[in-house]
Amino acid sequence: MDVNLLIQMLIAAILGTAIYTIIGIVPGTDETAVIAPITLAIVLAGVEPIVVLTFYMAAVIAHKLTDSVPVAVAGIPGGVMATPMVEHALVLKKYGQSETSIKKMMSGSVIGTLVSVPVSLLLASVLVPFAERINEYANPILFAGAVLLALLSTNRWLSLIIIIPFALLIQGLRHLYWDLGIVPENKNVFISFFLGITIGPVIVTLLDLLSKEKRKQLIRHHHKEIILKKSAKEKGFPNPFKILTKKEVGMSSIASLFGTITFMFSAVGVTTLVGELFSKQEKEPVKRSSLAISCMEALANATYIAGSLIPLIALGFPLSSVALGPANPLFNAPPVFTLDHNLHHILSFTDFLWAIFIGVGISLFFTYVIIVKHANEICAFVFKWIPHEAILGLFVALVFLLAFMDAGWLNIAGVLLIGIVSGTLSRYGVNFGVQFMVLYSAPWLVSVLAG
Amino acid sequence: MAKSKADPTYQKTQDHSEYVEVWEDFVSIKDLVISFIICSIMTLGAYLLAPNDPPKPLFFGLSGALIGFIICSVIIKPKRNLIETEEGK
Repeated sequence: MDVNLLIQMLIAAILGTAIYTIIGIVPGTDETAVIAPITLAIVLAGVEPIVVLTFYMAAVIAHKLTDSVPVAVAGIPGGVMATPMVEHALVLKKYGQSETSIKKMMSGSVIGTLVSVPVSLLLASVLVPFAERINEYANPILFAGAVLLALLSTNRWLSLIIIIPFALLIQGLRHLYWDLGIVPENKNVFISFFLGITIGPVIVTLLDLLSKEKRKQLIRHHHKEIILKKSAKEKGFPNPFKILTKKEVGMSSIASLFGTITFMFSAVGVTTLVGELFSKQEKEPVKRSSLAISCMEALANATYIAGSLIPLIALGFPLSSVALGPANPLFNAPPVFTLDHNLHHILSFTDFLWAIFIGVGISLFFTYVIIVKHANEICAFVFKWIPHEAILGLFVALVFLLAFMDAGWLNIAGVLLIGIVSGTLSRYGVNFGVQFMVLYSAPWLVSVLAG
Repeated sequence: MAKSKADPTYQKTQDHSEYVEVWEDFVSIKDLVISFIICSIMTLGAYLLAPNDPPKPLFFGLSGALIGFIICSVIIKPKRNLIETEEGK
């Protein structure tokens, strides 16, 4: 390995960890909306593919770990993935065990990582021989995925109904841009539509503010109250295997294994389902909640790692809800990555190992050690100094920039249109996965339907 | 233990300003508009001013976004009330 490249990877891992430790703690940040745009920008900036992967792995692990920190210290989820844990963290908080929550969570994610990295690599190598066959049918598989995810959506009928209209919207805009000559005929506008979908819910909420009636419902006359518990300082190096009981280690490992195998499905869904199922074994509330928390954290981490790595290493197209979400730019970020030329095709198996080792290693080590020791200070800093307005401003500006780069000024309106449609759909219970799958299969679907 | 009201960092929960809830946190509409304007101008401005030599415009745009974010963090106060208490209360 080239020393220069190695240094770049180390820097990428440290940056990814630092940025997403802060963003992870900010309440309510959706992982796709915060990880995908920055990863995308780094890809488009022409950073070495292996460095991009290192950054992404560090970012995902840091965000995943830190979004559960505010759950433990303040009872509010830092991200969508942390939502299932709130109930159990509140139980522990009630019994004065917030500190235990953090330690159990962090240890759970260490276990999740230790289990899912090797298992993902193994599963990926098992899938490789079939990859060529699977790739031939990529389009129908993505379409079938859209149908399957639609059936699993909260609003399954609407999800099924919108597949074709949504594909028409996407292809309609693409053809319009080609006709107007603002995008060359051989280029599929993808990135900005993808971002339009991810920030859709925020756009719709912001548009709500323009309607007087809706605004009244959203208005609050007080600050958001956040109660932060001070906890005792940890001395020495925290050992995850001592923090968890034998039962918790065992159950978390099984949960991680399960999360890795079910890599295709929604991480939040699997986490809630399996976490609840496993914790039912324990009757006593404190033990039960701490078991649930360690299992959920292990599982969430495992689903994330497996959902990113298995499709990347084995297939080269995004066949999992994580790959369609935060990891999307690693598969498709034209002109740098396309479905025929992305990390899967560029990096060797050894490259993958290096990027995983450095990205995951640094991120896990830093977040684990720092958070177990300084969870309170970090949360207090973020809550006190990082205004939510600035975060929203940053992401809206990034989306504007990437929309403009993709197809000029007109595309800012195009992305807004996609955002409004997609945000409204997700409000009605059509999940992101369905919309992303449609985005991918739209060209194929529309050409098949047109005959 | 809750912070005493004499503490200058303690803010009264009820005030006259209006906040709205976006992405599970509270924002003031005025500050949000300011933040959008600052971040967008910094980002697109830096992108358009950058030398036309890819990937420089993108790097400029990203740095612009980051600078915009920092400016906003300095001039806008978060709408959160932080109450620090001892464990187990």
